Amino acid sequence: MRCEAPVESQVRQRAAEGRDDGEAGIAAPAGHWRLAWLPPGDAVPCSLLIDRRAFTACLLLLAALMAASLAYLAMGSSGLAPRAVLPALVGRGEMMAVFLVQELRLPRLVAACLTGAAFGVAGCLMQTLARNRLATPGIIGIDNGATAFAVASVVGLGVSLAPPAMALAGAATAAAITFGLAAGGGTRGYRFIIAGIGVGAVFGAITQLLLAKVAIDTANAAYPWTVGSLNARPAGAVTLLAIGLAVGLAAALGLTRSLSLLRFSDAVATTLGIHVARRRWQVLVVSVLLTGLAVAVAGPVGLVGLIGPEIARSLSSPRGVPVVASALAGALVMVLADLAGRVLLAPIEIPVGIVTSVVGGPWLLWILLRPASRNLA
Amino acid sequence: MLAMQHSGLLPDRRLYRAMAGLSVLLVLVCLASLLLGAGDVGPARAWAMLIGQSDPEARFVLESLRLPRTLVGLVVGMALGVAGALLQAVTRNPLAEPGLLGVSAGAAFAVALALVLGATATTMRIGVAQFGAMAGCLCVLGVARVSGAGNDPVRLVLAGAALTGLLLSLTSLLLLFDQRAADEIRFWIVGSLAGRRLEHLVALMPSLLVAVALILAVARPLAALSLGERVASGLGHRPGLIRLLVIVAVALLVGAATATAGPIAFVGLVVPFAARALAGPDIRRTLWLCLPLGPLMVITADIISRLLVAPSELPLGVLTALCGAPVLVAVVRARRMSTL
Repeated sequence: MRCEAPVESQVRQRAAEGRDDGEAGIAAPAGHWRLAWLPPGDAVPCSLLIDRRAFTACLLLLAALMAASLAYLAMGSSGLAPRAVLPALVGRGEMMAVFLVQELRLPRLVAACLTGAAFGVAGCLMQTLARNRLATPGIIGIDNGATAFAVASVVGLGVSLAPPAMALAGAATAAAITFGLAAGGGTRGYRFIIAGIGVGAVFGAITQLLLAKVAIDTANAAYPWTVGSLNARPAGAVTLLAIGLAVGLAAALGLTRSLSLLRFSDAVATTLGIHVARRRWQVLVVSVLLTGLAVAVAGPVGLVGLIGPEIARSLSSPRGVPVVASALAGALVMVLADLAGRVLLAPIEIPVGIVTSVVGGPWLLWILLRPASRNLA
Repeated sequence: MLAMQHSGLLPDRRLYRAMAGLSVLLVLVCLASLLLGAGDVGPARAWAMLIGQSDPEARFVLESLRLPRTLVGLVVGMALGVAGALLQAVTRNPLAEPGLLGVSAGAAFAVALALVLGATATTMRIGVAQFGAMAGCLCVLGVARVSGAGNDPVRLVLAGAALTGLLLSLTSLLLLFDQRAADEIRFWIVGSLAGRRLEHLVALMPSLLVAVALILAVARPLAALSLGERVASGLGHRPGLIRLLVIVAVALLVGAATATAGPIAFVGLVVPFAARALAGPDIRRTLWLCLPLGPLMVITADIISRLLVAPSELPLGVLTALCGAPVLVAVVRARRMSTL
């Protein structure tokens, strides 16, 4: 969506000529819908372009997410009929069904959707920032940094901060180190990613170190973070994530126009009127914020940040940066992965991090090794 | 020394000096590994026992706990260091490391699979690990070759990282299935030298001897291969065969090391890196230097892992990662990444 300056002036000109033909006179560019309105009086006439394909993609993903959520609520160690789920959601029907849906599955579903959306948006932003589709927070070590710090707060190294705050601090630290190391060569290319893998390895080792130092019970309490699971959600972390996601998504939407220009080279983006360095900072901050908060809830499920934007991009039009579609696709992937983890080997529960990496690993390899790999996000 | 004489290149004084210095250092570190520990037997008691006083408790600790551990560290360090140097020479890639390319993860996955299917015997485990290492190695190198990513050091490492992640999560998935296997494997999979016995080492010897024979045969052609495929063919070598033999040797070494000590990353990166810094890029020299350097790193890490959080122990892989990741970043950050 963007305001079209030329269109606006044309409308004004036509209005001045007394030919008040509204939006009928100007055709929208191919593949777009144009919403235009002329406010009464002297106010500036406005118009909006809506990318038709991106819009359909969002609708499609939303429908899929709804269906997956319904399945998520219905399926489990004791299954419910899909028909019984909706009444149970509003508190009608059998006591057992209401309890299952409202107390057990709904909070977990909400957590899955929120973390998936956060990872998806963070991945999409980071990919655009680095102009490399492999540069997702999970791969360049930000997840591991957040995990190490969150574990530190759980095993209690004399730090009394809550896990979300610590995870945020860890994400910021890891991002700072990775970007600092890459400062010489810029964020382009694969070297930046290898530096990130190195940083991630160090933080992974620190996590192990922390777990080895404490008693076995404390270590077990911190274990979910190290593999990624929706089982142990710290109190308050989900609420914080919801607030953070709302803020981050709004910020990302505000940045959309700059984002699609950031995909060009720095020189072109500057010519087109983008303050490149400042926009980079903003994008980076939003991405790190979302990653840190999401890790505080679910641990490092980083490959969602790769798969979600990938799906969104293949469905949406190549013109824009699919922020909303990435959020929806990330949530969809997370819900499906957690559902599979709960159902496939019941009564054993597979942590969601393992499901996503079993699915996402081959995908990553495929992206990497495809002959005509598009490097631009 | 056989490889040196074969090559017709007499080792120069600098190499001798470096070898002598590193060997002295290695002896000192081995001694420290015998003397230091978490239990009641402190350095003074251990030393008294070593110079001949009778002390049954110290004797037990030294002979059946610390000595096997040191010897295992010696063998594992040598195997991993040499395997890293070989892999880097054959891919001409300074970042190619068994742990990073998914070779160790392949071995770990194969062992976990065998355990879940009901295997327990030591020799069985070594063979399985070597087979898994071979599969992981061929997988990464084959795929990289098909897609033409093999020429780009960094993309090869990314492919390896992706494969490692995949195999590690498959391993944890297997362990979820089977509690018995999970208990058996839990202390092995983090990488450690604790509790290894001499029988484990003896079981490794046949395959290690095969690997040494392969390396002696292949060292000189491999040095020619580092000048480029055409030059190597022009000198009468067969690049395809050399590559295959090297990969077999790497799989034997890494499989043996992984079966004994668990997957330990970054040793194969740091050790050849240091060896190249000391002796230059010729594989025939770096291989010699890897022999003392590998155990030096592994045993030092092991000593630290015993002392840092005594009486419990740190996984060895944690220390090697802490020391290896900065080297990885340094190699990548170097302005002109040398292709080997």
